[in-house]
Amino acid sequence: MSVYAVDGLEVWRDDRAIVRGVSFAVDAGECVALVGGSGSGKSQTCLAPFGLSPLEPRGSARLDGRELIGLTERELRPLRGRDVGFVFQQPLTALTPHLKIGRQLAEAHGRRPSRGALAAMLERVGLDHADERLDQYPHRLSGGQRQRVLIAAAIAHRPKLLVADEPTSALDASLRHEILALLGRLRAEEGLALLLVSHDLAAVADHADRVVVLDRGEVAEAGPADAVLERPHSDYARALLAATPRITDPAPVLPAPGPLLIEARGVSVSFARAGWRRGRIDAVAEADIAIAEREAVALIGGSGSGKSTLGRAIARLGPIDHGEVRWRGDPLPPRARMTKAHRRLIQPVFQDPIASLDPRWRVSDIVGEPIRHLRPDLSSRQRADRVKAALQEVELPATLADSRPAELSGGQAQRVAIARALVADPAMLLLDEATSALDVLVASHILDLLARLQHERGLAILLITHELAVARALCHRVAVMDGGRIVEEGRAAEVISAPRHPVTQALVAASV
Amino acid sequence: MKGRHHLALIAFGLIVAAALLGPLSVRWPHEAIDWNAVRVPPFSPHHLLGTDSVGRDLLARTLTGTRVTLAVAGAAAFVALAIGTAWGALAGWKGGRIDEAMMRVVDALYALPFMFVVILLMVVFGRSILLVFLGIGAVEWLTMACVVRGQVMAVKQRPFVLAAEAAGAPPLGIVIAHILPNIAGVAIAYLLLTSPQVVMVESFLSFLGLGVQEPLTSLGILVKEGADDMDIAPHALLLPGGMLVAILVSLTLAGERLRDRFAA
Repeated sequence: MSVYAVDGLEVWRDDRAIVRGVSFAVDAGECVALVGGSGSGKSQTCLAPFGLSPLEPRGSARLDGRELIGLTERELRPLRGRDVGFVFQQPLTALTPHLKIGRQLAEAHGRRPSRGALAAMLERVGLDHADERLDQYPHRLSGGQRQRVLIAAAIAHRPKLLVADEPTSALDASLRHEILALLGRLRAEEGLALLLVSHDLAAVADHADRVVVLDRGEVAEAGPADAVLERPHSDYARALLAATPRITDPAPVLPAPGPLLIEARGVSVSFARAGWRRGRIDAVAEADIAIAEREAVALIGGSGSGKSTLGRAIARLGPIDHGEVRWRGDPLPPRARMTKAHRRLIQPVFQDPIASLDPRWRVSDIVGEPIRHLRPDLSSRQRADRVKAALQEVELPATLADSRPAELSGGQAQRVAIARALVADPAMLLLDEATSALDVLVASHILDLLARLQHERGLAILLITHELAVARALCHRVAVMDGGRIVEEGRAAEVISAPRHPVTQALVAASV
Repeated sequence: MKGRHHLALIAFGLIVAAALLGPLSVRWPHEAIDWNAVRVPPFSPHHLLGTDSVGRDLLARTLTGTRVTLAVAGAAAFVALAIGTAWGALAGWKGGRIDEAMMRVVDALYALPFMFVVILLMVVFGRSILLVFLGIGAVEWLTMACVVRGQVMAVKQRPFVLAAEAAGAPPLGIVIAHILPNIAGVAIAYLLLTSPQVVMVESFLSFLGLGVQEPLTSLGILVKEGADDMDIAPHALLLPGGMLVAILVSLTLAGERLRDRFAA
């Protein structure tokens, strides 16, 4: 008998079904992946039957033979604490910062476990120095370690079913691989039934037995993972698979680089330690980087490697301790003394598309902001024309010009941010994880747009990313960062085919 | 929910209109004494809502008291908003040593006993209703500055502020165009939380003889006088008390509606 069986599930928001007719079953020791883009209803499908969503589930969802739908919150609560475990997307915020790891695990365990039992729980999820970790606070742990702790907490009470909602989306490629492997091992060793939710079909298909692809609340395709991966028969699944950039894709055609555009030498950035502790932390140490006209360079590294800090220091959008940045041979002034002429040269696009737009402004005002400041010579009529042209260039309908950011989807918001970066005709773009917060399908459209702009406008690009495949799709050269230093640099194809530094090797291994 | 908020806005508008126009339409001035009708109950001839212990028309006094209370609360809240926002925004935006210095000034002022400050002001500048405005505002802005500073520090971390810097917006322009509009909701919500407090402080000062002076009146004074007589003339307490409650409730609900609009 299946551990968890969903039959004809619907999820209703007010008087509209956002999920319709979804059926699947998970057996003990089996992994079913629920895959779809944002808005496909995949999270609602897995959360609503357990009462973890404000929306109303209908149909049937049986856990261990017991019907969940129709149960009250009172009846669901002990079920959630006993038979199901949950892992969510955000490992950085899902642990309470002021409680030690041991305390949080004990809470998840329910009864009063011994210290040894708690340490064993951490060992089960492959965390080293388990005994020591119990006395540490969450901030001492990296993102991947925290996700392991959360998995340990989710399976502490030995549930039959583990629901993992995008457990790896906030992690970089090598960690993603490790966490998925861990989930696979737990499933094999303990007979755990796993319901894995993801937007990335290619990433989870290797780890799942069966795949259910959701498109706008309905099942587009369902079947064994191999079959869906090899021979997808629905258009949507095919599009999802095609959207995932891979380092084995054929080499992209890139514009030929011109003369040297920007050169940074000996850039170091440090931050004061938080709280009362003395001293500073080096975020970037003595980094050199050069970008030619029409050339795209990727800064690659895990979280905390200093890649964003370096990118912002060069673009004069962040602090810098020392180091020199030259633009076509002339030194770029420090951040506080950047003139309007300097600001026009480099324009940024950030990771979180919604947060990088002022929620109180209209799209047309947001896109027009740079030219209002940087091109006071233009008349308001000319500026309005340029805003219109920029929206057209990023393939946004003119009807969105009066919308506010909250009304936009993630992909539309990122297009607005790109239009804002383009409107003042910069020579270089700083793309700070510009596709990382978007789901696979949307990210691939944005990547296509960036590639088109790269060719049409001859833009130089500094691309900050944790994904090798994204870098390869757009960049001539890559620089790999670790612990604030550039540890390897070279042509994209060469670094990927013959990585020298261990960090690069791990990244490449995880991306295949 | 929405309907109730609209009602609150309308109710508050009516109260303000009554405070502005009411005293003109009542036959009796608020300080006039009618020797023929001392402490008469409501619905007496000539005095729709009765009179107080010295024969002054209660309707006229309540309307004038509402006017004075609203003026004091509004002006004090405005002073608090203006100083607090400017101070807090500057400290939060600049950060570092400037922030430290500015917030230590706030701490030092916090440490001064409020009554002491107000009495000192009265002694130096003499008693006037203007000083009551200033005195209350001068104390309320401290908390407002702390609230605004915290909000500014949070908003300044958001990427759209960095994007505005890249777009060439000058620092003051960023604060005015991006940061202040995004904290307005919280500032207004806080302002409306403080206005009941301001009303209370005003009546407390008046009670001590430091605030509004007889024969001018305020809701605080009327409530106090009414409380003295509540066993024989409950209407003298219920009327200004009810008005006070109506102001506070409608202000709070209207504030919620405003805040929701700013938050959206």
